[in-house]
Amino acid sequence: MNFDVVWNNLPYLLWGAWPQGPLGGAALTIVLSLFSGIASAVIGLVLGVWLFMARGIVHTVLLLFLSFFRSIPVLMLIFWTYFLLPVALGFSVPELATVVCALAFIGGAYLAHGVAAGLRSVGGGQWEAGISLGLGRWRVLRLIILPQSLRRMAPSFVNQWVALIKDTSLAYVIGVPELSFVATQVNNRAMVYPAEIFLFVAAVYFVICGALDLVAGAVAGKEREHTRGDKAAKTAS
Amino acid sequence: MDLSIFGLASIYVEWLLWGFGVTLLLSAATCVAATLGGLVICAARISPLRVFSIPARIYLAIFRNTPLLVQIFFWYFAGSAIFPTPLLDWFNNPHTVTIAPAGTTWLSFKLPSFEFWAGFVSLTFYTTAFIAEEFRSGLRAVDAGQREGGLSLGLSPALVFILIIVPQATRHAFAPLLGQYMNAIKNSSLTMAIGVAELSYASRQVETETFQTFEAFGIATILYIFAVAVVEAIGELVQRRRDRKYGRGAVT
Repeated sequence: MNFDVVWNNLPYLLWGAWPQGPLGGAALTIVLSLFSGIASAVIGLVLGVWLFMARGIVHTVLLLFLSFFRSIPVLMLIFWTYFLLPVALGFSVPELATVVCALAFIGGAYLAHGVAAGLRSVGGGQWEAGISLGLGRWRVLRLIILPQSLRRMAPSFVNQWVALIKDTSLAYVIGVPELSFVATQVNNRAMVYPAEIFLFVAAVYFVICGALDLVAGAVAGKEREHTRGDKAAKTAS
Repeated sequence: MDLSIFGLASIYVEWLLWGFGVTLLLSAATCVAATLGGLVICAARISPLRVFSIPARIYLAIFRNTPLLVQIFFWYFAGSAIFPTPLLDWFNNPHTVTIAPAGTTWLSFKLPSFEFWAGFVSLTFYTTAFIAEEFRSGLRAVDAGQREGGLSLGLSPALVFILIIVPQATRHAFAPLLGQYMNAIKNSSLTMAIGVAELSYASRQVETETFQTFEAFGIATILYIFAVAVVEAIGELVQRRRDRKYGRGAVT
């Protein structure tokens, strides 16, 4: 094992040509993950709530829409957005935006089901109580159901974000200089020690995914303490 | 035979279908190997012996938390550094397998290229990690009372595990397992990065050749949806049979 090739190219692997050129490498991977993570959460929440509230034909259409995104490879969707988004919008769209768009929809489609399941997991009594207080369906959802179910949805959000971080590597196919892309560049230039390069890259992804997992675990731990506190307060009163 | 469809010339449709065949072969092989691998890793992970459980934990953490694409690049580019040269030479040269009992050629086919093997190995290691975890959560989903019930009937812990826990866990794990099979079909598209001529690769090739972007990607997308839908339908069928056998609301 000779990691010189990694140390010699370390700045390029970590932030690409920045600040002389565009941001790349691990930094771009993080930026891509952040944008697509936030966008997928918004899409997932909106579609999930809609899936939960919709009835009849709208529900069926929505289900079909979601299963389309869940049954095609991410790579295929990136091709679609890359080639058709500019045609559909009538102006050129930067590669970064097409990748974020594709990842956000895939992540959102998976999350929507998690959100809907989380909403269903709240007992019917909560609904009845809300309605009998004179609140409308949407207000019961917003004020009573959603706050309770968000905690239960948290694990599926974290899992989806970890999957998204890994999927940002697919931006490689349309030449976005994120971590995997710059790694293949370095590998092609050096032509030696591919094992070292890709082990290092894997380690960087591992650290990013692991960090997210740790943060999520810490937040979940706090959350549990918080609910336990609630219960303790309830029994005390 | 004229295969042209949606205004795409016959030859290009043939490319796509050929790619679809490679996708199916690659993902089927992956599913079989990864299910066996998943059983082994799951067994090691739940083992009370640390010699088994700790390596299994490390395996799961590494393979689940790094992108498949990077793993594919690793096995493809670094394979030469890891595997012995004779083995590599064998993989890099084309081989034809001929089954000829009693002198007459019965079956003859070419073994796939090195790219295919590299793709297969990386997909299998990756999918194994996910299937192992599905098996484990299947085991955990079995109520603790089942184990206690078995033990109180005088069965040994091993028998309780085999006769009572595993059959129920299989039912819990079935749907998630099919989900992982669908993921394997979709993930096989990433092997295009190392030049495996599967469906995504073929669609890209047809697109470059004909500029019929919409048709090329459209047909490929439909084929992917078809493959995933077939797996889903199989799951639905098995589920229904089980409902008939055990009644609705039974452990599924």
